Formats: sequence, C-alpha cells, structure tokens
Amino acid sequence: MFVLERFGIFFSNLAAMVFDPVGLLLLFGSVFLGILFGAMPGLTATLGVALLTTLTYGMRAETAMIALLGIYVGGVYGGSYSAILINIPGTAAAAATSLDGYPLACKGEGGRALGLTTTASAIGTFVGMLFVVSISPLISRIALQFTSFEFFLLAFFGIIISGTLTSPDLVYKGWIAGLLGLFLAIVGRDGLQFYPRFTFGMPQLEGGLEVVPVLIGAFGIPQIIGVLKDRFAPAEAKRFQRILPEFGTIVRRLPTILRSALIGVGIGAVPGIGEDIAGWVSYGAAKNASKHPESFGTGDEEGVIASETANNACIGGAMIPLLNLGIPGSPPAAMLLGALMLHGVNPGPMLRFDHPNFILQITAILLLASFAMWILGMLLAKQVVKVLRIPPPLFMPIIAVLCVIGSYALGFKIFNLYLMIPVGIIAYFLTEMGYPIAPLVIGVILGPMADQNLRRALMVSQGSFMPVFTRPVALILFLVIVLTIVSQFPVYRRALAALKRLLLRNR
Amino acid sequence: MKRIAMLVVLVALLSVSLVFASGEREYPSRDITNVLVWSAGGGTDTANRIVMAEMAKTLGVNINVVNVTGGVGGSVGMLEAYNRPHDGYTIAGLSESIVTAGVQGGWDKRVDVWDYYIIGGSPLVLSVPANSPHRSIEDLVAAAKSRPGQLRASASAAGSIHHLNLLAFEKGTGTSLNYIPYDGSAPAQNAAITGEVEMVITSIAEQAQLIRAGQLRPLGVLVPQAFTLGNQTIPSAFDSVPGLTAHLPIEQAIGFAMARGVPEAQRSKIREAFHAAMQTEPVKNFGRDNFYVLSGASGDEAAAIFDALESNFAWTLWELGAARVDPQTLGIPRP
Repeated sequence: MFVLERFGIFFSNLAAMVFDPVGLLLLFGSVFLGILFGAMPGLTATLGVALLTTLTYGMRAETAMIALLGIYVGGVYGGSYSAILINIPGTAAAAATSLDGYPLACKGEGGRALGLTTTASAIGTFVGMLFVVSISPLISRIALQFTSFEFFLLAFFGIIISGTLTSPDLVYKGWIAGLLGLFLAIVGRDGLQFYPRFTFGMPQLEGGLEVVPVLIGAFGIPQIIGVLKDRFAPAEAKRFQRILPEFGTIVRRLPTILRSALIGVGIGAVPGIGEDIAGWVSYGAAKNASKHPESFGTGDEEGVIASETANNACIGGAMIPLLNLGIPGSPPAAMLLGALMLHGVNPGPMLRFDHPNFILQITAILLLASFAMWILGMLLAKQVVKVLRIPPPLFMPIIAVLCVIGSYALGFKIFNLYLMIPVGIIAYFLTEMGYPIAPLVIGVILGPMADQNLRRALMVSQGSFMPVFTRPVALILFLVIVLTIVSQFPVYRRALAALKRLLLRNR
Repeated sequence: MKRIAMLVVLVALLSVSLVFASGEREYPSRDITNVLVWSAGGGTDTANRIVMAEMAKTLGVNINVVNVTGGVGGSVGMLEAYNRPHDGYTIAGLSESIVTAGVQGGWDKRVDVWDYYIIGGSPLVLSVPANSPHRSIEDLVAAAKSRPGQLRASASAAGSIHHLNLLAFEKGTGTSLNYIPYDGSAPAQNAAITGEVEMVITSIAEQAQLIRAGQLRPLGVLVPQAFTLGNQTIPSAFDSVPGLTAHLPIEQAIGFAMARGVPEAQRSKIREAFHAAMQTEPVKNFGRDNFYVLSGASGDEAAAIFDALESNFAWTLWELGAARVDPQTLGIPRP
C-alpha cells in the first residue's frame, strides 16, 4: 500500500514536469551538455556537475536538480562515444566499455554498438530510479555496514578485477599494471599524516598525481603513437547503419541488462565508489556468466551492454545514500550534495520530514532524464559515427590537441602536461609488451581509497587484521578476492576438475 | 589650427576635472567585488552571498561574488584579492581556515594585513553513537581515562578545526584518545554511526540531521553557551569539565575581510553596512536555518579572534609535521 501511494505521488510529479516546457527544454539542454562533457576526453561528469552548479544559483531547487541530474546522466553515458569510436574512454566510467566497443567499431558495427549502449544506459538509469522509489531505506541500511576495512577490500577488489579482465594473455600482467597504478597513487603527501612520499621535494607532486592527465595520457597517447607508426586499425563506418537496436536483441540480452543494473545500483549505493567500478564488476560478471567467455574483448555486444547498463544504474544507486543519509555515493553525487545545500535542501535522514516529496521529484527527474538521453542518443549517434569517415592522419592530430587541452584545462596547470606525456609514453611501451592499461588507471583512481582506508582501519583496530575475518561483509569481500586470484592458477582448475570427478564417481 | 589646439586643451581639462569630481564622489560609486576563496555552494559562500545581498541594499551598489579557489588555505583567492588596488572596491570572502595559508607556503605575510568582519559559524559539538553506553561528558572522560590512547575519536582531516578542538579537548580533560582522521565531516560522522569510532567532533550544522533523527547523541557543545536544537538543549561541555576553558573555544569564523591599506573612511562605511545587514531578517533566518551562531564582530575584536586562530593553527600544524614553513619565520607567536 505504501509503495502504491509513493508511485501515485511519483506519477503526479512526473506529469507536472512533462507539461512544463521550460523544464523540458532545460532537461534536454543539460543532458546534451552532459553527453558532450562525457564524450570529450578530460571533461568528466563530475566536472560538468561542478561547473553547472555555479549557474544554477538563481533557480529553484527542483529546477536546479533537473539541470544537474540531466548533466550527470548525460555525462556518464557520453563517455561511451569516445570509448567505442576511438578507444579513448571519455570518462573512467566508460573504460570497460572500450574493451568490446572498440573492436565492434573496427568490425564496422560502431553504430550498432552505440545504439545498444544508448538503450542499455537508458534501461540502467530506469532500473536505478525504480530502486530509489521503492527500497531506498533498506539499501542505505546495508550501505552502513561498510567501515574502513570494507572500503579497502572493495577498492582492492576493483583493481584486481580490472586486472583479471583486461589481460590479453597472462593475467599477471593485468595485476602488475594494477599495482603500478596503485604505486602512482601513493605519490604525494599522504592523506592521514601528511608525510610526503616520492615527491623528491617538488611542490607540484605534493598534492599527488591528478587522475585526468593520467587517464588521458595512458589511453590517448598510445593511440596517437599507434597512428604515427601507421599501423592503426581505423574503425570503419559502414554505409547503411541501423542505430536503433532490434527489439529481439534487447529481449535476448534482458538477463544481462537486469544483472548489470542490479550490480550498478548496489555499487552506487556504497558510499565513495561509483560508476567506474560498477562498469568493471558488471563486465566481469557478464564474462563469468557467459557461455562463450572467450569472445569477450573481441567485440561482444554483451560486454558493451554490461558495462554501460551498470554505470548508468549507478546514478540511481548513488542517489540512495545521498538522499537518505546525506552521504554521496559517487564523486559527481558529492558535487550534487554541495548544490543541494546551496538551495537550502539538506539531504539526510530528516529529508523525508523536511521535504517529503523531494525524493520522488528526484526520481521523476531521473526517469525523464533517461528518456531524454535515449532520444538524444538515437539522434546523435548517427551523426557521431560520421567522425570515423575522417581519415586518421587528419583525425588523430585533433584528438592529440584535445588530449593536451583536456589535461591542461583541469586547474590550468602546465605540470599536468609534464605528467601526461611521460605517463603516455610509458603506457605505450606497456601496451606494446601486452600489459593492459585500464588496471593502471583504475589503480590511480582507487589507490588513495585503498591506501587511506587500510591505514585508517589499522589505526582503528590498533594494528590487527582480525576484523577482516570477524566482520561479515569484510569476510565475503576477502573470500571473493582470494577466489578471483586463485581461480586464475592452473592448479585451481585442475583441483576443481579432480573434485568434480571424485564427486561423480561417488555418485 | 589654434582653435583645434584650444579645443583639445579644453576637452583635456574638462575630462581631468571630471575625473577629480568623480573621485570626490561619495564611496561607493561603483560595484564592489567579493573575491571568495572557497568554492561555490560551501558554507562560506552561502553566508557571504546572503550578507552581501543585504549590504548592497545599504550601500546602494551591487556586490558581485566571484569564487577564486585553489592553492593552500585559500591562498590563490587571497592573493588575487590583496593584489587588487586598496580602494575599497575589493572584499575577500573567507573563513578561519585561511590562517593556515602562511605555514603551508601559500602566503608570505601574517594574516593581520586584513581587517575582518565575522558573520559567525556553527558551534562544534561532541557526539557519540545512539547505542553508546556514554550518556554524558563525564561518562566519556571516565571511559577515556580507563583505557588511555584507545577510545576511538573521529574528526575531519588532521589540522582541521575539528581536529584542533579534539586536541584541546584532550588537553583540557587530561585524556589521550585514539584519533582517527577522515577526509571530511560526513565520513567522520558516518564512522560514528557505523560504530567504527566511539565519538565524533564536527559542527552542529553538519550533525543536525543525524541528531534530530536520533542516530547520534550529542553530549556537549564546545562553546560556553548551551545550544537549542529543535526541542532538545545540548549543554556546554564547559559546565561538566571546567578545565576546558583554558584551551577552548576554537570557533569557526566565517566572514569577509578588507585589506588594512584601504582608507579608514571607506572601511567604516563597510562596517556600518555590515552591522546593519547582520540585523536583517534574511540573515537572521539564514543563521537559524543553518544552525549558526551569528557573531557580527569587526575591528579589534575580530582581529584578536583571527590572531588567536592563526597562532593556534600554525603551531599545531607545525607540530604535526604538516606545515612547510616554520611559523617562527613568519613571526607568528606561540599560542
């Protein structure tokens, strides 16, 4: 009964918004802006939300939320454009998308891939929204089981899983790349006691390495050097491309879509981690569940669907702790928190009493944003694919310039360029040697979280590792990590096979 | 030819006299800029925008707030504001944390080059999780004394105002706590709710929702006066532990400043407008809605507050090893 009543209020809110032309225009405008931000390497959804916040001063809280959620949804989705078409993920959230999206584009199916990701993202956002309406208090209670040990294990799992999934040949190489990223994340003054680590007395290194220049350098520069060496396989654009996915394909992929959406909501709801981990974990789950895991990484549409559904479902997930506890579930949600407070809305446990309809308004906005994103995506994809017809010798220099501008624009620091170029060159040689780059970037992103939470956890337990085994969530995470690592060794597979034989014989 | 020359001279004279005339026009004759050193949407930003809107009504010109962030302790915005002409048309919107800019290497002067106008701040409060066995400050102090160095206490990052209050609380009560730093107030409070820590010190504004929802139990505010939040009154921690008065309060001071180089005539105009603004309904409502204690301090009173904050922060950071510049070289006295 309670749920039905909530849906009633929800639909009346929705109707009010659909019939407000200014609101709709604002929604489409901000979703479009978000897609642009997401697609450009270096401009992220977080930055988009931050920049737009300053422009929403004069608006009412609800109107401001239309603009901010619009740019958030668009930004998370837009990253898939550059990931699929040029193999440079526009945002970290789309890193897993490029694994299968780019091979698809190389096969000449870029348009189809974009159509699939658009639909998958829209469904993901929609499922995330359903969770915000129905069971958000329950999810936020589970999220409170997470203390420092759990956060550390979760960050470490994110690095390990991306290493496991992306290695072209030996899985160790993925882990090595992940640990390299973790090492880069250590540079700078540590977050707990301010001790300078690997700064060599350089003031620019004190704040640590910024993620955006590392992301752009590591993904963009190897791609550009590849063209210079003239053996770049340009993605193809076939003449008659169908962007709208077949209804049958979507129905067939429904289990993957639903599983990925659930993973996305769950990960979004955990405070502090967001779209980037959601994409990886869901990609991994899809690969494990697949009947033909070997086709992943060579252009499997399921891989693209898995990561894109999850990173958009994450938005709804991230709103749950934000609205119910006042704790942002992802970095862009942290920006949203600031914007909400600016408009006099203090998210937290009292929100239900202070602004009873606010959560439902947010969900109505999310639903509309996912529609707007789908419509815009369908219209844009056709035009964006044309980019591939530009000959690479003309196209790649433009990308190179965008990479440089993208790194510099963040804080206008020339030092970011000195950082981006060496990272890019190292990344190029690593790629040549068959090391995957994605785990390195994930390591840089999740490194501070792993490092600070491990040390904080040890401060809390006064040096004891026992809580890992006594806390239920920590124990589950620990076992999953151990299993992920052990399952990669041939010994494990042989043991498993032997066990199976033994059991069958006994029967 | 002669005529043209005459005309030129005449126009020149006229324009010069106009400039003088405009110079004599009463201050302020054009819009004022508030260079705000923190980002948009934060507490300092919101408070400044509301007060500036009220001051603009008294002064009869607009006050434009521009956020110039970056550096350490707001140093980029402070330099920007200080390097503009000292003509009374630039204000720096800031808060107590700017006193750390010097020892962090972003500001080569003491902070007494500014003339401060303090809007106020939210008092800090010491709370425990809702299921904690400790019902009062005395309970908590007794528990801390029974297991020295082990009672887990959270506050935001080391060297923050919350941490300074925690250190002062330890000194004032003669206890030693296991301080666990967090990235900000929200994660620190979250850790108290999950039971990872046994007590937390952040501001009332930040805890209000959690206290009202019954997830945190406030034991005492770290200021001399009790604070009323909804229908419950939070006592002052000073009532149960008189020793605290020697080390506390160390309060938030959100407000703005003008360079001391600005002529006194203009600064007094700003001061009048500021005091008038503090008495208006919108500012009072803002204070109530956001759990602030409004201050309104200016002149010598405000200068003394910032002097104390500066020496306290600078020397604490130096002792923690978190400072880059020795406070002695900046001439900052020990607290």
